[in-house]
Amino acid sequence: MSGSRVVVTGLGTVNASTAGGRDALAGALALGRSAIAPVRAFAVDDLASRLAAEVDEATLASLVDRDAARRLSRICRLGLAACVLAVRDADIEGGPGLGLVVGTEHGDFTSSRDFAQGFLRRGAAGLSPMIFPNTVMNTMAAVAAIAIGAKAPSITLNQSTVAGDLAVARGARLVADGRAEAVVAGGVDELFEDVYRRLSQMGALSPRMGGPSGEGCRPFAPDHNGPVLGEGATFLVLESPERARARGARVIAEITEAAWGNVPSAPYSAHSRRIDRGSPVARLLASRRGRPFARCYGAGNGDPDVDDWERALLARDLRGPSADLVPPRSLAPLFGQHGGLGALRVGAAALDTERGAGPVLVHGIARGGCRTALAIGAAA
Amino acid sequence: MTQKEVLDELKGLVVERLKFDPRRAAEMTLETTLPKGVDGSLGLDSLDFIELSVAIEERFGIVIDEGSDLTEEFLSLDSLSRFILAKTGQG
Amino acid sequence: MSRPGGGGRPDVVVSGLGVVSPYGAGTKSFWTGLAAGTCAIKPITLIETEGFRSRIAAEIPAEAMASLGYSRRRSRADRIALAAAREALADAGVPAERAREAGLIVGAVGGGMLEGEEWYLGETRGRPVRSIRALRSILPFSHAETLGWRLGLVGPKETVVMACASGGASIALGADMIRQGVVEAAVVGGVDALTRICFMGFNALKLLDPTPCRPFDRDRRGMSIGEAAAFLVLEEAERCRARGGRAHALLAGYGMTTDAHHVTAPHPEGEGMIRAMRMALDDGGLEPRAIGYVNAHGTGTPQNDRAEALALRQVFGEGGVLVSSTKSLVGHTMAAAGSVEAAATILALQHGLLPPTANLERVDSEVPFDCLPGTARPAEITAALSNSFGFGGQNVSLVFTRP
Repeated sequence: MSGSRVVVTGLGTVNASTAGGRDALAGALALGRSAIAPVRAFAVDDLASRLAAEVDEATLASLVDRDAARRLSRICRLGLAACVLAVRDADIEGGPGLGLVVGTEHGDFTSSRDFAQGFLRRGAAGLSPMIFPNTVMNTMAAVAAIAIGAKAPSITLNQSTVAGDLAVARGARLVADGRAEAVVAGGVDELFEDVYRRLSQMGALSPRMGGPSGEGCRPFAPDHNGPVLGEGATFLVLESPERARARGARVIAEITEAAWGNVPSAPYSAHSRRIDRGSPVARLLASRRGRPFARCYGAGNGDPDVDDWERALLARDLRGPSADLVPPRSLAPLFGQHGGLGALRVGAAALDTERGAGPVLVHGIARGGCRTALAIGAAA
Repeated sequence: MTQKEVLDELKGLVVERLKFDPRRAAEMTLETTLPKGVDGSLGLDSLDFIELSVAIEERFGIVIDEGSDLTEEFLSLDSLSRFILAKTGQG
Repeated sequence: MSRPGGGGRPDVVVSGLGVVSPYGAGTKSFWTGLAAGTCAIKPITLIETEGFRSRIAAEIPAEAMASLGYSRRRSRADRIALAAAREALADAGVPAERAREAGLIVGAVGGGMLEGEEWYLGETRGRPVRSIRALRSILPFSHAETLGWRLGLVGPKETVVMACASGGASIALGADMIRQGVVEAAVVGGVDALTRICFMGFNALKLLDPTPCRPFDRDRRGMSIGEAAAFLVLEEAERCRARGGRAHALLAGYGMTTDAHHVTAPHPEGEGMIRAMRMALDDGGLEPRAIGYVNAHGTGTPQNDRAEALALRQVFGEGGVLVSSTKSLVGHTMAAAGSVEAAATILALQHGLLPPTANLERVDSEVPFDCLPGTARPAEITAALSNSFGFGGQNVSLVFTRP
């Protein structure tokens, strides 16, 4: 990766399994218990899909001060809580040198719906000025930036499936390019009833119609039949190794490469007749043939088309990879598919290398072709 | 309408529209100050005030001229309820 | 903070422009409208507006939309984005192989919400709308999906959602990638189509003027909404020259900051704005006095214009530069604003003609600048700066110079 090097010095996560810093995540990963369970937040009796990985309300409430949270929508509280946990874990302060990158798949749909309902019920007089700002996806970043004092660029990225991976990659680029001294980067999504229902009715969630029965998240398995949604927020703190050393930070790992590119395919399609030769991801993987990865995480989440596509791409690009790498590991069975999942993958990879795992590839591919690749190595 | 009734309505709005905790609202009195920067106030900022104005217009059927400076009127629940009573022709 | 890129880094040029604006489809009609100082803000036709205080906007003309062809799969925003990106690539004449590997950064906010709203209203009013496929392009990242596919791109693809700064941010981030050698070219810009949620939301916040906006005017009352798409092709300067390409302008420098102050209101003293402008100037190695024109964010709200005027004063000194707001002509085009206005700034440099601020009758005494009221001003300038200051305190400043 050109520019300065990038290390991970902190981590904050609020997900269906756990909430806290690097230790909390390490614990949840070691336990390996799935947080997927019957949906609690709304009624799903009339749907084929009944499962999700939901954040515990009491946990979330304990993380954000009630007064401060007063007019924050739930997704803003999730993002805020995780960002604060991340900067605390990294023991880093705000200022003109701290940037923020937030990836999200759906943003604050709850606020959009609330805003629209105000109008449908009472016309123009029913519109809430307070809710409106939340209908723009950068609301989570705006709220978190204020809380952590992020005055370098704060960027919100919208992307399906790999929002978290993309955000961390973009955050690493910001540090490498010198556009920020440190960046809090990661993803957030909230389980939203209308989206859940619509996706289930469209057959986009497990159990997809006409496929193997039995609802559940089984990435890369022969009987995979769709993703299971989750929710939560996970953020990593990224900075240069020099800066980390100078302030005595506890480095977890190094992001040695961060690339993203496109595999030209129709929107929502999970296959392509065109090869992404020349894309930064293809170049990264080609350059690693002499130094293979020890482990690989992937974005495959039980969506059969995405699973198969990722398997094929990796088989081709890793040129005779070991069984350790393909199919890649998925964290979707633990945490459910949501914008924070990609950041959880990078966090897990970082923790792996800290424990001596050897270089880890965090790969991602989404319907529509957005492809990501981060190479994680032990901090020098 | 009495000032007490206006106060009760305002407390309801503060919960419903500004998302304050109902227990906190129950403790509010005419003396409660509103704007951020005033010691012990509810800490309302510009966005809260716009929301509150819109809610008041709707609940009390009055029109608030956002062009004029209403800092005094929005200082406390006392000044605000008097302002509303005056607007509804009952102050 | 270290200067991004450091010394000896590659220059970034703008080799292509593509615009679909309230004046019509194409950069040509865009420049014609700006040069004539024509205000395109009119009564809204696309959506219902009864019961709202402000009922005007700068819409893309129906004939222009019709000329782009119709697709049930693509939203209005998708279509104008594709048209503008195609025009920019054709204008740049980048060879197919390099174009293929170009980065793509799209600034977006509303996405395909216009069609999503139509569907939702239909459902709730018991009159279902048939075009369900347009629902798939509701989210802002749908434009990048469409462009990546239709243009056959394999380079880095991302969608930035940064409110009114989205278009500007896409340009700054794309330029960084070229400087760092991640890509040799990038297609960058923003898009936003009119939506009910935007229209209603800004009305609810009382930020809209019931009459066409009047930035910097003493009696200004708020913004006017617009819709547009504008894309730039950025290229590494040497590569562009080597292939015989032509540069519209040099992107000399840029700055990006966050206020981290309030979710909607800008920092009252324009702290983040000042930092962004100074960063852009430093990055370009330019003194403030080298700048001949500032295309302001200039929304026409009392708050923004006051804070921005303060910031401009800090950076350039009273009367230290000519300023205008093209939002008075084409409205506030939301996620597209940053790139629409970058295009306007580049065209102004090229033509030696600065677009005016329309509807400006009495400059506010807090704005100690010549704001080019009413008529475009001939001026041979060599450097210009464009500001985008988004909701939520996100600030982007871009400096362009003649190639």
